[in-house]
Amino acid sequence: MTDRQLKFLNKPPRFLFFTGKGGVGKTSIACATAIKLAEAGQRVLLVSTDPASNVGQVFGISIGNKITPITSVPGLAALEIDPQAAAQAYRDRIVGPVRGVLPDATVKGIEEQLSGACTTEIAAFDEFTALLTKSALTADYDHIIFDTAPTGHTIRLLQLPGAWSGFLEAGKSDASCLGPLAGLEKQRTQYRAAVEALADEARTRLILVARAQQATLREVARTHEELAAIGLLQQYLVINGILPPAEADKDPLAAAIHERECVALAAMPDALRALPRDEVMLKPFNLVGIDPLRQLLVDTSSLEEVQVDIPAALEKPSLAQVVEAIAQDGHGLVMLMGKGGVGKTSLAAAVAVELAHRGLPVHLTTSDPAAHLAETLKGALDNLTVSRIDPEQETERYRQHVLKTKGAKLDAQGLAMLEEDLRSPCTEEIAVFQAFSHIIREAGKQFVVMDTAPTGHTLLLLDATGAYYREVTRQMGKSGLHYSTPMMQLQDTLRTKVLIATLAETTPGLEAANLQEDLRRAGIEPWAWIINMSVAAAAAQSPLLRQRAINELREIEAVASRHARRYAVVPLLKEEPVGVNRLLELTGKN
Amino acid sequence: MKTIQIFDPARCCSTGVCGVDVDQQLVDFSADVEWARQQGAQVERFNLAQQPMTFAENAVVKNLLERSGAEALPLILVDGEVALAGRYPTRTELARWAGISKPVIEIKPAGGCCGGSSCCC
Repeated sequence: MTDRQLKFLNKPPRFLFFTGKGGVGKTSIACATAIKLAEAGQRVLLVSTDPASNVGQVFGISIGNKITPITSVPGLAALEIDPQAAAQAYRDRIVGPVRGVLPDATVKGIEEQLSGACTTEIAAFDEFTALLTKSALTADYDHIIFDTAPTGHTIRLLQLPGAWSGFLEAGKSDASCLGPLAGLEKQRTQYRAAVEALADEARTRLILVARAQQATLREVARTHEELAAIGLLQQYLVINGILPPAEADKDPLAAAIHERECVALAAMPDALRALPRDEVMLKPFNLVGIDPLRQLLVDTSSLEEVQVDIPAALEKPSLAQVVEAIAQDGHGLVMLMGKGGVGKTSLAAAVAVELAHRGLPVHLTTSDPAAHLAETLKGALDNLTVSRIDPEQETERYRQHVLKTKGAKLDAQGLAMLEEDLRSPCTEEIAVFQAFSHIIREAGKQFVVMDTAPTGHTLLLLDATGAYYREVTRQMGKSGLHYSTPMMQLQDTLRTKVLIATLAETTPGLEAANLQEDLRRAGIEPWAWIINMSVAAAAAQSPLLRQRAINELREIEAVASRHARRYAVVPLLKEEPVGVNRLLELTGKN
Repeated sequence: MKTIQIFDPARCCSTGVCGVDVDQQLVDFSADVEWARQQGAQVERFNLAQQPMTFAENAVVKNLLERSGAEALPLILVDGEVALAGRYPTRTELARWAGISKPVIEIKPAGGCCGGSSCCC
């Protein structure tokens, strides 16, 4: 074992932010960093915003929303902020006083407006502005480590001078996505100071955490560019969970993973290549407890053989079984939902190919940015048509259209607000769904499989206003489907089947459960869960992978017993699932 | 000078850009309000999602919500009395209520007005 100098730990500034999408291991790396700095004699505060923060669990104590010393690591204290709870507290502050005063339906409408991603993020940002600005709270600490970072959208909103004009002072300006700030107590000066602290290289370092996967790296490159554009230039890159090359000799699957990771790293976007970069190896153990976390940032030269007690073949439902059930209805809409990086596009393609293979007419429509998957399927099967839309293009077209038509008469400040509103995360969802909506009408006659879908929150808002109803009625009017509202179409599992895609890992599993809750709020019951890229289902021989497989079993069990009505486990493949044969392999039919 | 109060439906952005289609009425109306303010009119806007207490504390607004629900918004009060409900006023109407004598150049809506847009933030 050798201790090496990680670049992102070299002369660390006061604030360290770790950012990256769910499941890349940013909380583990943040915890390991906190331990390392504390053990080097620094006084460290670790701030977690993970809604199911396992920081307490990691250190074996209960933390919660107050600064709590970690006694087993002298110099370290931790604080857990739950953004969902912060957003709920915010909603209560706004809605509480009128509950029972205004009609129930009205109150419900208000709450729905305040349930979006922006509200949650801004409420969380509100929670940590004090840590970034108030010296009394944090004077005792040399370093404050956050396991998350605000998105560009939030920071830009806070930077927009126009957004502030009279907004927080008067509380009745005609502001935009900044709306959620109206009910928060912090002062404008404090937000401004927080944003300044973020952009100050001497005080703040941003660490982008990614995995050696092409899609993940592309996404991280976007985050990098977005944050750099608003002045957060002090960025480092950590590639986490790389399979140690030594494992590659031990079985074909490990060799294939190693190869794939090398390819992904070689194809890394140039913007990322320029950043100081560290690589952290995949560990066979769960990152719970202080000792495992200490070892995370240390090279493990050789792995001890772990005694692994796991059957070579996992007896779990296959994707083919789920498709079998879908096929019985003869037609309908199948939507894959889930966070980025869980393989929605591959799964959508696999479902479509499996349906077409059974002789059923299928239209697969995908937003896959890489295009190669869709390309390889064109003309591959008689019953399969494939179409593809580019989310970035669609979003940009939508933005430009709105700015040109609706923003034509606005002054510079008004235009800046409209432009920022159009950069909200909701915009892409809506633009993409609009682009898809004309294909949905085909679902009355055949199968339509989509690899993207709007969240329950958006559907509720669109449905509530009736705008969506008119839109889809127009789109679906001639389809011959018997329905009264499009929401009912989506709520009816005979017509629409929502498949939740996830991984057998803690954070992705949790995110999927949250997604399911969101859909249920909209009256949509997910039809099945698909656990993708499972090592447990792949019958790996490498000791490290076998150990990972054991760790997966608990997550799979949670899906089977707690979350899903029906589910399937899809194995991690040696090769990327491109082309008909490999996609059929995904469904477990080869 | 009369006070014009506008009680907007619940939405997070006054432009409504997050909706399935951006509501031209909302964009135009925001411009009209800005125009009226520049002419010296006193115009206040309240968003149901952000200042529901203001709705609850005003008997006229509260009664409307109880009788007709939030679908009846927007509601426009001039010196506390109902001037309009269910749609946004034109620039001419704003000018009349505010007593603005300057000639009004109406902004014509571009294309069909498909109202009812909302927001998802």
